[in-house]
Amino acid sequence: MKLNLFEDKNITDEHVDVYYSDMRPVIRQIIDSVNSERPTLSGRPADEDLDDGEEIILDPKEIYYLDHIDRKLFAYTENGVYRLMSTLASVEEQLSPYGFVRISKSNLVNIYKIKQLKPDINMKVYASFDNGERICINRSYKKSFTEYLQKMRRMSQ
Amino acid sequence: MKDFIKSYLLELCCSYTIVSVAGAFINMAMGTETNNANVVLMFIFCNIAVFVLSIHKFFEKLSPLAMIIIQYVVALVLCTGAILIATLFWGPVTPRGWFEFFRSFTIPYIIGAALYYYRLYREAKDQDEMIKEIQKQKTNSKS
Repeated sequence: MKLNLFEDKNITDEHVDVYYSDMRPVIRQIIDSVNSERPTLSGRPADEDLDDGEEIILDPKEIYYLDHIDRKLFAYTENGVYRLMSTLASVEEQLSPYGFVRISKSNLVNIYKIKQLKPDINMKVYASFDNGERICINRSYKKSFTEYLQKMRRMSQ
Repeated sequence: MKDFIKSYLLELCCSYTIVSVAGAFINMAMGTETNNANVVLMFIFCNIAVFVLSIHKFFEKLSPLAMIIIQYVVALVLCTGAILIATLFWGPVTPRGWFEFFRSFTIPYIIGAALYYYRLYREAKDQDEMIKEIQKQKTNSKS
C-alpha cells in the first residue's frame, strides 16, 4: 500500500484521505485509528517472516499483554500473536495512560483484559486473562503495579 | 554497595534491639538471667538473619516459596555453624539444646512465612478488586 505524507506547518484543518478499492480489514483499521484518539501499534503475524505478510494495525484495547523475548517484542491478542518493531520501553511510555503496566522485566499487561489476579501455591501472583492464559507478576514490580492501579482508579473516578 | 551496608546496619540495629529488649522482658517475667555468651550469640544470629533476608534479590527468578525454603536452609546452616564454633569456647551443646535451637528457629520462621503468604494473598485480593473497579468504571463511562 502506498503511503503519501504531506507536512504543511500552516495547515489548520488536518485531514486524511483514504483511497481504496475494497473495504478490507486493514482499511477499516485505518479508519478506526483516525476516528479514535487512542494510539495504535503496527505489527506482523509472529508466525510469518518479517518481509512477508501484511502489516496489521493493532488497537491497544485488543492486546492482552506484550512479551519481550530474545530482543523481539510480541503482542498477544485474541486473534493471534503479532511481532512489533519497537521497544518495550517505548510501547510502555506510549500505552501507559491506556491501562498498560509493566509487571516484569519483559512483560507489559493490559489491566482491562485481566480477568483475575490470584496467588499460586508457590506464592507467585498470576494475572489470568479471558483467553485462559496467565502471566506471573514479578515481586520486584509489585509496588509499582499497585501504585499504577491506584493512579488509574483515581483517574477513572 | 554503600546503600547495601547502610541498609544492612540499620536493619541489624533494629532487629538486635527488638530481640534484646524482648529477651530482657522475658527474663524479667520469668525471673531468669542471661549471660555474655547468649548476648554474643544473639548478635551473631541477628547478623545471620539480616544477611540471609537481604540476599532475596538473588532469588528473583525463583518463586517466593522456593526463596523462603532456600533462605531457611541457609540460615539454619549458618546458625548451626555459629553454634558449633561457639561450642569451642563455651562447651558442648546437649542434644536437648540442639532440639531447642531447631524448634526455636523453625517455629518463628514458619509463622513468618505464613504471615508473608497472608499478606501476599491480601495484596493480590486488593489489587484484583482495584482492577475490577477500574474495569467497571470504564464500562459505566462508555454506557
